Amino acid sequence: MSTVPRGLRITLLLAPALLVVVGLFGGGLAQAVAQSLGYQPFLPGRELSLDAYRALWADPAVRASIGITLRVALISTAAAAVLGTAAALLVRSLGRHRRRFAALLQVTLPLPHAVAALAMILLLGQSGALSRVAAALGLVEDPSGFPALTQDGFGWGIIASYVWKEAPFVAVVVLAALSSGVAELEDAARALGANAAQRMRHVLAPVLAPAVAAASVLVFAFTLGSYEVPFLLGRPFPATLPVVAYQQFRDPDLSARPLAMAIAVVTALLVGACVVAYLSLSERLRR
Amino acid sequence: MRLRRPCADTAVRATMSAHEPRRGGELVVDGLRVAYEPGVPVVDGIDLAVPAGTLTALLGPSGCGKTTVLKVVAGLLTAGAGEVSVDGIALDTTPAERRPVGMVFQKPLLFGHLTVGDNVAFGLRMRGVGRAARRRRVAEMLELVGLPELAGRRVGELSGGQEQRVALARALVLDPRVLLLDEPFSALDAELRHRMRELVRRVQRELSITMLFVTHDQQEAVDLADAVVLMLGGRIEGVGSPSSFYTDPPTLAAARFFGSTNEIPGTVTGSAFTCPLGELQLDHPGPDGPGVLVVRPEAVRLLGADGPPNTVTTTVRETRFRGTHRTVVTVADGGTMVLTATVAPAVPVEAGDRVHLQLPPSACRVLPTAAPRIVTTTENEDARA
Amino acid sequence: MRRGAGAGLLAVGLLAPLVPLLLWAVAGEFRYPALLPTFSGRGLALLGDAAVRSAVGTSVLIASSVAVLATLAGAAAGRALGLYAFRGRRAVQLLLLAPVLVPTLAVTLGIQVFFIRYGLTDTVAGVVLVQLIPTVPYASLVMASSFASFDPDVEDAGRVLGAGPLRRLRHVTLPAVAPGLAVAALFAFLISWSEYILTLLIGGGTVQTLPLLLFASIGSADLAAAAALSLVIAAPPLLLVGLTARFLTGDRAAVVGFGRL
Repeated sequence: MSTVPRGLRITLLLAPALLVVVGLFGGGLAQAVAQSLGYQPFLPGRELSLDAYRALWADPAVRASIGITLRVALISTAAAAVLGTAAALLVRSLGRHRRRFAALLQVTLPLPHAVAALAMILLLGQSGALSRVAAALGLVEDPSGFPALTQDGFGWGIIASYVWKEAPFVAVVVLAALSSGVAELEDAARALGANAAQRMRHVLAPVLAPAVAAASVLVFAFTLGSYEVPFLLGRPFPATLPVVAYQQFRDPDLSARPLAMAIAVVTALLVGACVVAYLSLSERLRR
Repeated sequence: MRLRRPCADTAVRATMSAHEPRRGGELVVDGLRVAYEPGVPVVDGIDLAVPAGTLTALLGPSGCGKTTVLKVVAGLLTAGAGEVSVDGIALDTTPAERRPVGMVFQKPLLFGHLTVGDNVAFGLRMRGVGRAARRRRVAEMLELVGLPELAGRRVGELSGGQEQRVALARALVLDPRVLLLDEPFSALDAELRHRMRELVRRVQRELSITMLFVTHDQQEAVDLADAVVLMLGGRIEGVGSPSSFYTDPPTLAAARFFGSTNEIPGTVTGSAFTCPLGELQLDHPGPDGPGVLVVRPEAVRLLGADGPPNTVTTTVRETRFRGTHRTVVTVADGGTMVLTATVAPAVPVEAGDRVHLQLPPSACRVLPTAAPRIVTTTENEDARA
Repeated sequence: MRRGAGAGLLAVGLLAPLVPLLLWAVAGEFRYPALLPTFSGRGLALLGDAAVRSAVGTSVLIASSVAVLATLAGAAAGRALGLYAFRGRRAVQLLLLAPVLVPTLAVTLGIQVFFIRYGLTDTVAGVVLVQLIPTVPYASLVMASSFASFDPDVEDAGRVLGAGPLRRLRHVTLPAVAPGLAVAALFAFLISWSEYILTLLIGGGTVQTLPLLLFASIGSADLAAAAALSLVIAAPPLLLVGLTARFLTGDRAAVVGFGRL
């Protein structure tokens, strides 16, 4: 091993991972962009144009879909961040039962999103468990009397499913940040006269903010770009961007391809823009 | 908050304008008992008093419960029983943040998101002291600990010694009546530790503040303190001036904690001590009965000839050069009893030499044989710290 | 008191949504507005079907292959990133972060044509390959953090004690980074195990994994079958995370993996 020159060794070590990231991921992204402009691999060339993006912008369905995508992602992320942080602080304060509840947080984490979505259909659907409880209490008479929380226009079911999965994720990240000596810092602040509210504001918040922000970026990126949950819990129209992209992609008419790719590119750009904004913000805050 | 600010401000200014800072308060701990698990006390009946304006070292091996005592005094831990008071005012119902007690921890625990100056100003900010007054006071405190230029630095840029100085300034800025220090220099190297001790001692004298200093290092305790409280296994083993632990140790365990000593088991009858070395004389005889005679190696005298009382003839087994002195390990004639003496490095002794050791009657103390007490040394004190 | 109420609320919020799922899995007759179903083993019995059994096999095969390949690639890249300071290291790290964040669906739409062209669609190999996109970067980041706390001098120590390259790897390096390897493999397995849309795009419905069956049964509105199938899909991840929870809670790099599930 040591006979291999250092630069070559590093290159060889990085090669497999970079092959996947540059070849498959980078290549895929480049292809998505190219195909959104009208390029067709293995087919006779066509003129490249921004037609797909113009069509996308003109299409009220796509605009509605951008709306619901951002709405669902923002509400899910905010709710997951708030509830997750609160849950982590609560779990930390539980003393003896702390471990048990920390383990409880990990119950929903490994569940596939499709399973979570099904659980929400069975819980929140118009003939789901909550509706039945409401009927038993005499609040509604039949399923149609219960508010539509799944396959609804707003996206409540999608949000519920994401929050159920992602709030524990934020909580676990925050708990990891809390485990590294924060209690000692709080003791130091106490000895300097900081009361509970002041400790929250001047010690906990600055320590936890980066962890919550990082977790939120991951949640936001995921909720913006994933397909399964909105497909299962949302309406076909207006659907979220990934669902629309896939719908267009499956269209037997190949002329819908550029539009599908354009939507995929827009989704990726939205995520990318948010990540860049986060990175530059955190960089500036560090100064 | 905004309403309280002016009056809090004037209060601090009043204490600052006085040329003579107010002296520290008297700290009294009475009957303290702490158990993390029921029936397993970590601290078991601690009484101690630190007179106003003095420095007391709370000395003991790691896991003896000394940090626990400190945390109870600071209010960071609730005791199962006992009382803590400063100047006669009981603090048991006062939360940590309102106690007139400051604390410097084992780790610096500086707030990473704040500058050095903001760290020092933290306590004042919590009290609502205005910006200008804060800045003035921070400058004063950084000057006091010898870091006048560093207010604008990030804490990540500090060295270990600087970090603890900032932590000290941060605790002092609130003018605490009692300052607790929990092994604040244990992570520093020997030379730096020495300089930090001098700093603490100087600050303590200048401000006449009351300090309770926890350490496991007997040298540090002796260097710093007006009085030493030795804690072993959750209980107080002895209290006294630093030198008394060497000349007149309260118990065998205390004598052993203060470094190697000669131990000779025997029996006291009047002012005589009967032991395998024969009959030895005592200037300070204890009660009659069995006991262990202790005499420190540095008190043992190396003589050319037999003569004075308590002289024992021995054979040198080995000598060890220790830089400032030489340790001579000998075996007494007619037995296996090992006696150790320290002599000047230049004294010519070699293994195999026949030497006469005198155990001066004034330096001999007879202590009760250590009753085998079950000492609960819990390692979790550090884990909880 | 308030703490107790909060803890109760937390437990209910986390566990209550699972109750209807469990009820439906053993439901026979479960008409509105009944609160409890009549018991039936029909849903669970469906799990013995040849289709389900073969999907379990396919899922295990794909997820295991992805876990092994991603962990190997990740360990190599992680070693380079964790042990060496080289020019472009930061760029490589950012490059690896991109696939963790940017939706994989977007890039897979772009390369699907190539998978068709090279005969990789409708094959297990193609599905494994596409699932490396979300898993390799994650495994690399976990392994980089694992190697960052590994002191390569112990390899020299092993060498001085007479261990050749293979024995050094086996007795010195691997034990030191074993927790990282376990976490990387675990999450690669879980990400692959849950994956639906990439499998559908590349496997084209020919490669039937458990999530594809679940979507089909939800689509056909057989809720008892879907609920029973969910249990089969949910059990291995729960078991695996339960067994490895010790490694997961403290490690921040590891915890990030949950964000991808």
